Amino acid sequence: MKKRLGIISLFVILFIAFITIWNYSYQIGLEEAYIPVEDEQHIYVIPSESGVFKRSQHALDYENMPIDEHHQRSLTTYYQNRAYHGAPPSIPHPVDEHQNMGGTSCLKCHENGGFTEKFQAYAPVTPHPELVNCKQCHVEQNTNTLFKSGYYASVKAPEAGVNNALLGSPPMIPHQIQLRENCLSCHAGPSAPKEIRVSHPNRVNCRQCHVPNNKEMAEVGTFKRVGNEK
Amino acid sequence: MPIKSYLAHPQEGKKEALMEALSKIDHCDVIPAENKELLIVVTDTESKTDDEKVKESIEAIKYLKLLALVSGFNTPKNN
Amino acid sequence: MQNSLTNRRNFIKKMAAAAAMTAAATMFPGIIFASEQEANLPKGGNLDWKKGPCRFCGVGCGILVGVDQGKAVAVKGDPNSSVNKGLLCVKGYHQIMCTQAKDRLTHALVKKNGKYVQTPINEALDIVANKMKETIEKHGKDSVAMYTSGQSTIPEGYVASKLMKGAIGTNNLDCNARLCMASAVAGFLTSFGADEPMGCYDDIDHADYFITWGNNMAEMHPVLFSRMLEQKNRRGAKIIDFATRTTRSSTASNKSILFEPQTDLAVANAICYEIINNGWVNKSFVENHVNFNKGLTNMGYGLEDKFKFKDKPTKIDFEAYKKFLEDYTPEKVAKYSKVSVKDIKYLAAIYGDPNKKVVSYWCMGMNQHTRGTWMNNLVYNIHLLTGKISQPGNGPFSLTGQPSACGTAREVGTFTHKLPKGVVMNEKHRRLAAKIWKVPYERIPSKPTYHATEMFRAVDRGDIKFIWTQVTNPLVSLPKTGRYRPAMEKESCFVVVSDVFPTPTSDVADVILPASWHIEKSGLYGNSERRTQHWDKMVEGPGETTPDAWMTIEIAKRMGYGDLFPYSEENHVEEIYNEYRQFHEGAKHGMAPLEVLKKESGAIWPYVNGKSTQWRFNAKYDPACSNDKDFHFYGKPDGKAVIWQRPYEPAPEVPDAEYPFWLNTGRVIEHWHTGSMTRRIPVLHKAMPEAYVEFHPDDANSLGIRNGEKIKVSSRRGSCVLPASINQRGLPTKGQVFVPFFDENMLINDVTLDAFCPISKEPDYKKCAVKVEKA
Repeated sequence: MKKRLGIISLFVILFIAFITIWNYSYQIGLEEAYIPVEDEQHIYVIPSESGVFKRSQHALDYENMPIDEHHQRSLTTYYQNRAYHGAPPSIPHPVDEHQNMGGTSCLKCHENGGFTEKFQAYAPVTPHPELVNCKQCHVEQNTNTLFKSGYYASVKAPEAGVNNALLGSPPMIPHQIQLRENCLSCHAGPSAPKEIRVSHPNRVNCRQCHVPNNKEMAEVGTFKRVGNEK
Repeated sequence: MPIKSYLAHPQEGKKEALMEALSKIDHCDVIPAENKELLIVVTDTESKTDDEKVKESIEAIKYLKLLALVSGFNTPKNN
Repeated sequence: MQNSLTNRRNFIKKMAAAAAMTAAATMFPGIIFASEQEANLPKGGNLDWKKGPCRFCGVGCGILVGVDQGKAVAVKGDPNSSVNKGLLCVKGYHQIMCTQAKDRLTHALVKKNGKYVQTPINEALDIVANKMKETIEKHGKDSVAMYTSGQSTIPEGYVASKLMKGAIGTNNLDCNARLCMASAVAGFLTSFGADEPMGCYDDIDHADYFITWGNNMAEMHPVLFSRMLEQKNRRGAKIIDFATRTTRSSTASNKSILFEPQTDLAVANAICYEIINNGWVNKSFVENHVNFNKGLTNMGYGLEDKFKFKDKPTKIDFEAYKKFLEDYTPEKVAKYSKVSVKDIKYLAAIYGDPNKKVVSYWCMGMNQHTRGTWMNNLVYNIHLLTGKISQPGNGPFSLTGQPSACGTAREVGTFTHKLPKGVVMNEKHRRLAAKIWKVPYERIPSKPTYHATEMFRAVDRGDIKFIWTQVTNPLVSLPKTGRYRPAMEKESCFVVVSDVFPTPTSDVADVILPASWHIEKSGLYGNSERRTQHWDKMVEGPGETTPDAWMTIEIAKRMGYGDLFPYSEENHVEEIYNEYRQFHEGAKHGMAPLEVLKKESGAIWPYVNGKSTQWRFNAKYDPACSNDKDFHFYGKPDGKAVIWQRPYEPAPEVPDAEYPFWLNTGRVIEHWHTGSMTRRIPVLHKAMPEAYVEFHPDDANSLGIRNGEKIKVSSRRGSCVLPASINQRGLPTKGQVFVPFFDENMLINDVTLDAFCPISKEPDYKKCAVKVEKA
C-alpha cells in the first residue's frame, strides 16, 4: 500500500512538474514571439560640402573660354552614356592600360579636361578626382550585344529649363549631388552638356542661389507645424 | 487650356521655309532667332486634343529637323 | 474677368516663350531673337518692376519685385544697388512666395474661452487698447511692455518708441536685436563712442585679406561673401576663416583656423601681443588717436534674475597694457585655445604687415558671447594698434543679422535705454526727444528697465502684465525657452502678438493681430553699412492685414494720445520719417531726404551736402572730422578711440563628465531665423526640411551614431530630439555639437542657456554644456 502510494505521489509530482514546466515554456515562447518593429525613419540627406569649391580656381578661365559649337555634348549624349541618370557613366572609348585601376591614366585627361584629337571631343571633368579607383564604377563597353535582353526599367531623367519656382528665379538642383558636390566640373567648360552649361561660372558659390529639390530621394511636402495645425 | 513652348530646329538652310509653314498653323506663335538656325514655337490651344492636333501638324512639316518641348502650362478650363 | 483671364493667358504665353528663349540661350550663347518680339516678353510687358530692399538679412540687397495684375510674381536683384549689383541668394529670389501660404493670418483672432475667434480688426484693436489702459491704471506704467524687432521698419520702431517712452512714459521697450547685435553696439560705444561700422561694403573691393571671426558668411551673408570670392578670384585677395566649426565658408577660404569655444578672447590678445612684440604698432596713429582703458573683470554671467552690472573704465598707459598682454603670448594661448603658435603668429603677421589691407568681419560668433562686448573691443584693439581703420579696405566691420537691426533697433533706438538720438540716462537727449515728440520732458523716464531676457523673466515673475510683440517670434528665438513659454502662458500676463503667420509665440497669445508683409506696406530699412533704403507698397495684403506702424498708431489713438500721432493712413511712412530725420540732423548722422531714397537704391548716412559718407572718422571722407588731423574719433569727447584691456574669462557653463559636449547653435542659408517665413516657401523647405544635430565624425564613431539617427540633446535646462548629421552641412570641432535653431518643431532653445554679456545683455547661444544619447 505504502509502495503504491509512493508511486502515485511520484507520478502526481511528475505530472505537476510537467504542467508547470510546460506552462512556463509556453509563456516564454509567447514572449519571444514578439519582434519589435522599428519606426520607419525619413532621412533627409543634406548634401555634403566637401569639394564644393574645388574647381573654383578655374572659374575665371571657364568664364573666358570660347564655346566650341562643333564639339559640344548635349544632355541626350550625356544621358546615353549612363544606365540611368545618376549612374556612373561607362567608358565610351577604348582603354590602353588594362591592368591598372584607373588613377593617373584616367586623370591625365579627366582631371582638368581638354580637347582630344583622337576622339574629336572634350574630355569630361570628373567631380571626384580624389577617388582614384576609377574602374571600380566606370567600366568599358566592349560589345553592343547583350547576354540576355531584359525588361530594364527606365527612369525619367530631370530636364533642363523647367526647375525654377518663379519667373526668372534661379533653377533648383533636380538631381542628387552625392559624389557630384562640385558643380563646375559638369556645368562649366567645353565638356559641359550645352543645355546645362552655366552662364556665370565665375560666381563659384553655386548653392547660394541653387538649392537641391530632389524629389527622388524623399518627397518633402510642405511645412507642417507639429501639434499646432488647426 | 494648354500652353506649350518648343524649340524648333529647321533642316539645314530651311529656316525661312519652316517659319512660313509654322505661321500658317492656327494657335501657334513663332519667334525666330536672328542669328542662329532656331525658332521658338508657342502653342495656345483650347483642349488637350487640340493641342495634340497642333503638335501633329507641326511635326508633319518636312523642313523640321527636331522639335523639343521646353515648358508646358495648363489652366483649368471651367472659367 | 474676361480681361484678366486673357491677360493671364498672355502672361503665361510670355513665360513659356521666355523659358524657351532661356533654353535656347544656354544652347547657343549670344543668340538674338527678333527684337520687337523680345520687347513683348515679361521683362517689359505686363510686369511692373518695383524697387526695395530684401526682406531678410542685414546685408540689405536691393531687389526688384515683378508685379503683374496686382500680384507679386517674380524677384530679381537690383542692378543699380551697389550692395549686391544684381545678385541675390536663394532666400531673396523666392521671398515673395511666403505671402501665399495657406495659413496666413488674414484677420484678427481673439481668444475667447480658450478658442480663437475671428474678430474685426477695429474691435481687436479696441480690446488691446482697453487692456493696455486698464493694466496701466491698475498696476502702473511699468506693468506694460512692448517687444519689437530688428525687422521692424524705421517708422514702426519710431512709433513704438514714441508710444512707450513719449506717450505712456515707460522704458519697457526692447527688441530681438538685443539677441543679435547688442554686443556690437556696446563694443562700438565703448571703443568709439559712436555706434555702427566706420567703413562700408566697398572695403571688399580694396582689401588684401578678409579675416572672418566666428562667422559663416557663405551661408549667412552670402551676397557679401560672393563679392569677397570675386575679389579672391580676380585680385588674389585672401579669405581666412577663424571659427569653431568647419563650414561652407571654411571650405571656400584660403585658410581655416579652428579654435576652442570662448578662447577667441585669448587669441585676439595674443595677436595684440605679437603686434607689439614685433614692433608692428603704428606709433603715430596710436599716439594721436588712441587712449588705453581697463574695465572691471569677473563680471558674472547674468544667470540670476534682476542681475545688475556697471562697468567702471579706468585710464591706463601703454606700458601697463603691454604688461597685461604678457599673459597672452602665443605659446601660452596655444595651450588652451587649440590654435597653433604658428597660426596665431600667422594671423598677427597679416594684421601687422603695414602693406596689407585687412578687413575683419564678424557677426553672431562674437556678439552672442558672454564676453561679447569685450570680444568686439579686442578686435578693435588690433585695428587701432595697427592703424588699419576707417580707410578703404582697412577696418573692422561688424555685420548685422537683421534687415533693419541698424536702421531701426540701433538708430531709432527700440531698446530700453535708447532714444532716437542718445540714451534715456542723458538729460540733453531726453529734452531733444521731448521737444520733437511735443511731450513734457519729465514724462520720459531716466532709468532703463528691462532688456530682452530680463523682460521675459519679468513676465514669468508676474511683474509685466501686458506684453505686445511685433515682427518677432521670441518663443523660438529666446534662450532657455523652456522657462519663457510657460511664463507667457500664465494668466498674469496678457499677450498680444502681431505677425504674418502663426508661430509658437502666437500660439500663446490672447490677441493675434494680422500684420502686412514687407511689400504689402511702405517702409524703410537700414542695413549693416549705414545704408537707408526705402520702398513703396507694391501689392495689397489679404483680408484685414494692416501695417505694424499703423496698428501702433491706432492703439495710441484709442488710448487718448491721438494728438501725438497726427499721421494719415495713406502717408504715415513719409510723415514719420520726416519727423524722425530731425533727430539726426547734422554732419555726424544726417539722414538722406526721402526724395533721394525714393530715387536711389539707398544712401549711406552721414548724408551731408547730398553725399553719402563711406568712411567715417577719416578726414579725407568724413566732413564731420573737425580736429585738423587725418583721423577724428568724434564719438569720444577728446576725439580719441579707446583700446581696452580685456582678459580671457571662461564660459559660464563648460562641458564636464555629465554634460560632455559643447552645444553651438546657428543658422543655415535656406532659412531666415525662426523659419516662420522661409519654411512656407516650398523651394527652401524642400532643400532644408528640418533641423539636425551635427557631430564631428570621431565623436559620432565613438558613440556609434549613424547619420539620420534620432538623438536626444539635453542640458540642465531641457532637451530636444533631432536627427544626427555627420559630414554634411558643417563639421563642428571634436567635443562640440551644432544645431540650427530655425525649426519650431525641434526647439533647441529649450536646451540653451540664458547667460548674457553683462555689458551688452546679449545672450550667448553658442556655448553651453549638453549630453547626447540615442532617442
